[in-house]
Amino acid sequence: MSAPRAGPAAVARLGLTYVALVALGAIFSAPVVWMFSSSLHGLAGVFAQPFRWLPAPPHWENYVRAVTILPVPRFLLNTVIITAPVMAATLVSSALVAYGFARFRFPGRDALFALCLATMMLPGQVTMIPLYRLFAWLGWVDTYLPLIVPSLFGSPFYIFLLRQFFLTIPRDSEEAALIDGASRLRIWWSIVLPQARPAVATVLIFTFIGTWNDFFGPLLYLNSPEKATLTLGLNLMKTQVLGSGVVEWNILMAASLLVLLPNVILFFAAQRHFLRGLTMGVGK
Amino acid sequence: MKAEHRQGWLFVAPWALGFLLLTAGPMLYSLYLSGTSATLLSPPQWIGLENYRRMASDPLFYRSLGNTAAYAAMGVPAGLLLALGLALLLNAPVCGIGFFRTLFFLPSVTNTVALAVLWLWLLNPEFGLLNAGLRACGVEGPLWLQSETWAKPALVLMSLWTAGGQAVIFLAALQGVPRELTEAAAIDGAGPVRRFLAVTLPLISPALLFNLIMGLVGALQVFTQAFVLTGGVQPGSEGGPNQATLFIVLYIYKKAFQEFDLGYASALAWALFVIIVGCTALAWRLARERVHYEGGTP
Amino acid sequence: MLLLTGLLAGCGRPAADERIITYNCAASTSDIAALQLAAADFRARTGIELRLNPFSGEEKLYAMIAAGQAPDVFYTNGAVRDRLAAEGRLLDLRPYAEKDPLFARLRPEIRAAAASVDGGIYSLSNWTHTCGVYYDRAAFAAAGVPAPTADWTWDDFTAAARRLTTPAAPGARPARYGVYIPAHFIEALEQMNHAPIPRDALLLDLPPESREVYAAYLRLVHDGVMPDPRRVQAMGMQAAQLLQAGRVAMLVEAVPHPGLIETLTIDWGVAPLPCFGAKSPQYFRSASGGLSISADTRHPADAWRTLAWLIGEAAPYQPNPVLADADFAVAWEQKYPRLRGTGFREVWSLSEQHAGGDPRYFVRFASWSMAPVMTRLQPWLDRLWAGDATLDEVVAAVPGINAGVRADLARQARSTALRPAWKAALERALADAPH
Repeated sequence: MSAPRAGPAAVARLGLTYVALVALGAIFSAPVVWMFSSSLHGLAGVFAQPFRWLPAPPHWENYVRAVTILPVPRFLLNTVIITAPVMAATLVSSALVAYGFARFRFPGRDALFALCLATMMLPGQVTMIPLYRLFAWLGWVDTYLPLIVPSLFGSPFYIFLLRQFFLTIPRDSEEAALIDGASRLRIWWSIVLPQARPAVATVLIFTFIGTWNDFFGPLLYLNSPEKATLTLGLNLMKTQVLGSGVVEWNILMAASLLVLLPNVILFFAAQRHFLRGLTMGVGK
Repeated sequence: MKAEHRQGWLFVAPWALGFLLLTAGPMLYSLYLSGTSATLLSPPQWIGLENYRRMASDPLFYRSLGNTAAYAAMGVPAGLLLALGLALLLNAPVCGIGFFRTLFFLPSVTNTVALAVLWLWLLNPEFGLLNAGLRACGVEGPLWLQSETWAKPALVLMSLWTAGGQAVIFLAALQGVPRELTEAAAIDGAGPVRRFLAVTLPLISPALLFNLIMGLVGALQVFTQAFVLTGGVQPGSEGGPNQATLFIVLYIYKKAFQEFDLGYASALAWALFVIIVGCTALAWRLARERVHYEGGTP
Repeated sequence: MLLLTGLLAGCGRPAADERIITYNCAASTSDIAALQLAAADFRARTGIELRLNPFSGEEKLYAMIAAGQAPDVFYTNGAVRDRLAAEGRLLDLRPYAEKDPLFARLRPEIRAAAASVDGGIYSLSNWTHTCGVYYDRAAFAAAGVPAPTADWTWDDFTAAARRLTTPAAPGARPARYGVYIPAHFIEALEQMNHAPIPRDALLLDLPPESREVYAAYLRLVHDGVMPDPRRVQAMGMQAAQLLQAGRVAMLVEAVPHPGLIETLTIDWGVAPLPCFGAKSPQYFRSASGGLSISADTRHPADAWRTLAWLIGEAAPYQPNPVLADADFAVAWEQKYPRLRGTGFREVWSLSEQHAGGDPRYFVRFASWSMAPVMTRLQPWLDRLWAGDATLDEVVAAVPGINAGVRADLARQARSTALRPAWKAALERALADAPH
C-alpha cells in the first residue's frame, strides 16, 4: 500500500507530511517569531494594536543594548558553571540508579522505586522552607552548591525515564558480556548506555534546558548580584520599582532570545540521535 | 543471588543516599507540620487532626480539587495524543526534519515570562489575535482567561503548546522500533493504523507509561501558568475569574505564603500527595499488563 | 560598562566585624548601578557598607527569615508588615525614628500609617502617590470637549466620557472608549464619595457611599463608554498603552507614575479625580508599603541609618514624595521636564491641600484581614463584572463573607505565636465588630 520507494502514493504522502510540518510548525514557532519581531520594535510597537510582525524600521540596536545592559559574560559564565556539572552529574547518577531499578532483583526494590516516584508527588511549596534551612545550616546560601549538589543523587524524573528505556533493551548482549566476565559497571557503561542513546540524548537536552532556564532555584539561593545566572539577569530587566523606569519589553525579548539560543543549538545538535529512521529507512 | 542484591543496592545507593540526606527530612517535617498550627515563621504547636477536619469542610479545598481534576481530565489525554501525533510526524524520514523538530520544540524552551506576555496578548479578548481571528469569521470570541467557563480550557491550550517535550520522549522511544517490523507488517497487508496499533504502540508503551504518569503528576500539580497568567495583581484575585483556576497547588501557595498558614498548607499538600499517589498507582495497575518491555518484565 | 562595574562592585568578602547592612529589594539593572554608586558615597561618610540583594520574592524572603538569615533591611507591604511584626520578626523602629530628623520630615499621613496597633513602628513608607485622570488632549480638542478643571464633578466626567466615545455600529465596540478606570482604583473613588472606611477595620463593609460608586462604575461599562475591565486585562503597561494607542481618551492612574511618563508620547494632561456632586474632594494619597528592619539584625543602629538614608537621601530615590520638607512637584518636574504644563503640579498640590481619606494603599488590601476578606469578596466581584450577580446580591453576601473572615481571624487569635499586644488587639477588634 505504501511501499517506501517512489510511486504516486509515496509522493502524495511526502507532500502531505510537508504540509502538516509547515502548518503545525508555523503555530509552534509562533512564540519565538513573535519574540523576534518584538525584539526589533521600538518600545511602543510591542503593545501596538494591531501588532506589526515586520517592524519598520527594525531596531537592531536593541540587541546591542541587550548585551550591554547586563554584564553578560559574567552571567553566562555563572550559568555554565552551574549547568555543566548538573548535566554530567544528573546523567551519570540517574543512569546508575535507573539501571539498578531496571536490571537487578533485590529485596525492597519495588518499594524503593515507588518511594522514588512518590518524592515527585509532594508539592515543593511545603518542603521548600525546611530544605532552605538545611542548606542555610550548611552555610551554602549564596553559593552554587544548593543548585549543583542535589544532582549528584539522581533525579527521580530521569531515573524513571531511563528505567523505562533500559527495560526495552533486550538482555542478550548483557548476559553474554556477563558470561565473559565483564563487571556490571562496565556493562552499564559500554553496552547499556550506547544502546539507550536516544534516551541519554533526551536526558541531556532536558537537564540542560531545566538548569539553564531555571529561575526559582537561583532566585532562592543566590543573593549577590555578581553571582546571578542569565535567567536572574533577565528578571532584573523586567523588575519595575516604584519611582523608576519602565520595562523595556523589546530589549527583554532580545535578551530572552539570546538566552534561548543555546537551547536551540543544543537541541538541533542532539536530535540527530533520533535519526535512525532516516539512515535505515527510505533509500534515495 | 546475594551478589545481585548487593549490586542492585549499590546501583540505587546514590538516590537512596540523596533521599535520606535531602528529601526525607523536609518531607517528614511537612507531614509533622500538617498536624500543627504552624504559621510560616513561628514554632509549630501540635493540634492533631484539626487541619484535616477543617479541610473536610473547606469549600475552597473542594473547589480547587474540582478545578485540578477538570484541568487534568482535559490536559493529560489531549497532551498525550498531541505529543504522540507530533512524534509520529517528526519521525518521518524526510529532508530537513531536524529543522522542523527544532521548530516544534521551541515553545518548550521559551522563557516563561516571554510566553506569558505572548499568551496574555493572544488571549486578550479585546485586542488579542485569537479573538480578532474569530471576529473575522463572524464569531464573537469568549473572554478566555477572564471567563469562568473558558479560563481552564485556555490554560490547557497553553499547556498543549509545550507538547514538544513529551513528543521528544516519544521520538526517542520510536527509535527503538525496528523498521523491519513495520515494513514486514506492511508487506503482510496491514494498513497504517493497524501497523501502528499492532507493532509501534506496544514497542513504545514504556514511554507512553512514562508520559502518562508524569503528565498526570504534572497536571495535578499545575501551578506556574495559573500563577503567572491568572495570578492577578491584587490579593484575592489569584485563581482567576470566580476562582475557576484556583488549582490545589495555587491554593497551597496562597495559604502558605499569603496567609502564613503553613500548618494548613502542609495538610493540603499531604492530601494532594495521597490523591496523586492513588491516581498514579491506579494508572500503573491499569497499564501494567499493557506495557510491553522488550528486555523482559522487570 | 558603568553598569558592569556597578554590578560587580562589592564582590570581595569583607571581614566579619565590618559594618555590613544587607538590603533586599526588587531592583532593575539601572537601579542596582545607581544604588551601588550612591552606596559608595554612603560608605565613605558613615563606614556602613550596603550590600544589595536584588533578587526578591515572597517565598525567598520568608525562607530567609525562617532560616535566621533575614536581610537587615527589606520591603514589606502593609498586610505582611503587621503579620511579621505580630510574630516578632520586625524591629520596632520607634526608638530610632523619634530621635532621627528624618521622621519629622515625613508627611503626617506617612507617620500616622507607620504606627501599628501596639504603638510600634515596623516600617516606613518609601513612596507615595495620589490618583489622577490622565487624558488625551488631541481627543478632547477633536471632540470639542473642554479640558477638565480642578472642580469638575462626576457628572462632568461621565458627560465628557460619553462625548469622547466614538459611536459604534450596533453590536460592534467603539474604536475609542471615553475612559478606563482599572478596578483597583474604585477605592479612590469611594473615598471621593466620602465612604467611611475606618482604619484597621477587620471586617468588610460596603456602605451606601461605596455602593453608589460601584453602581456608577458599572454604569460606565453598561453605557459603553468604558471597556469591560475583564476585557482589558490590564497587565504591566497595558493600561497606559490604551491611552497611548488612542483606545481610550481618559485613564485613571497613579500620580506620579514614572513608567507612564516614559511611555506616553501623545500630548497628554492630567486632572484631579472628579468630585461627587457637591461633596468636598478627598484626594487619596497612599502610604502602605515600606522598608522594614529584621528583628534579627546584628547592627540595628546601622540598619536604621541605612533605612533613613534610603528614604531621605539616597540619590536614586530622590526626590521622594514621602518627604514634606522639599517641594516635590518642582523637583519632580526637574527630573521629568515633560511634565511641565500637563497639570501634574496642580494635581499634586491639590492632594497636599486636602487631608484625603485613609492614606494606606487601598484600605481593604492593606489590613490584617486582607487575605481572608479578598478571598471571599473577589469571586463576588468577578461575578459582578460578569453580570452574573447584582450589586444588591454582593451587598447581601457581606454578612456571609464576614462570618468566614471572623472564623479565620478567631483561629489566628488562638495562635501562641502572636505577641500579647497584637493578640489583645485582634480579640478586641473581633469583640467590637458588629455581628
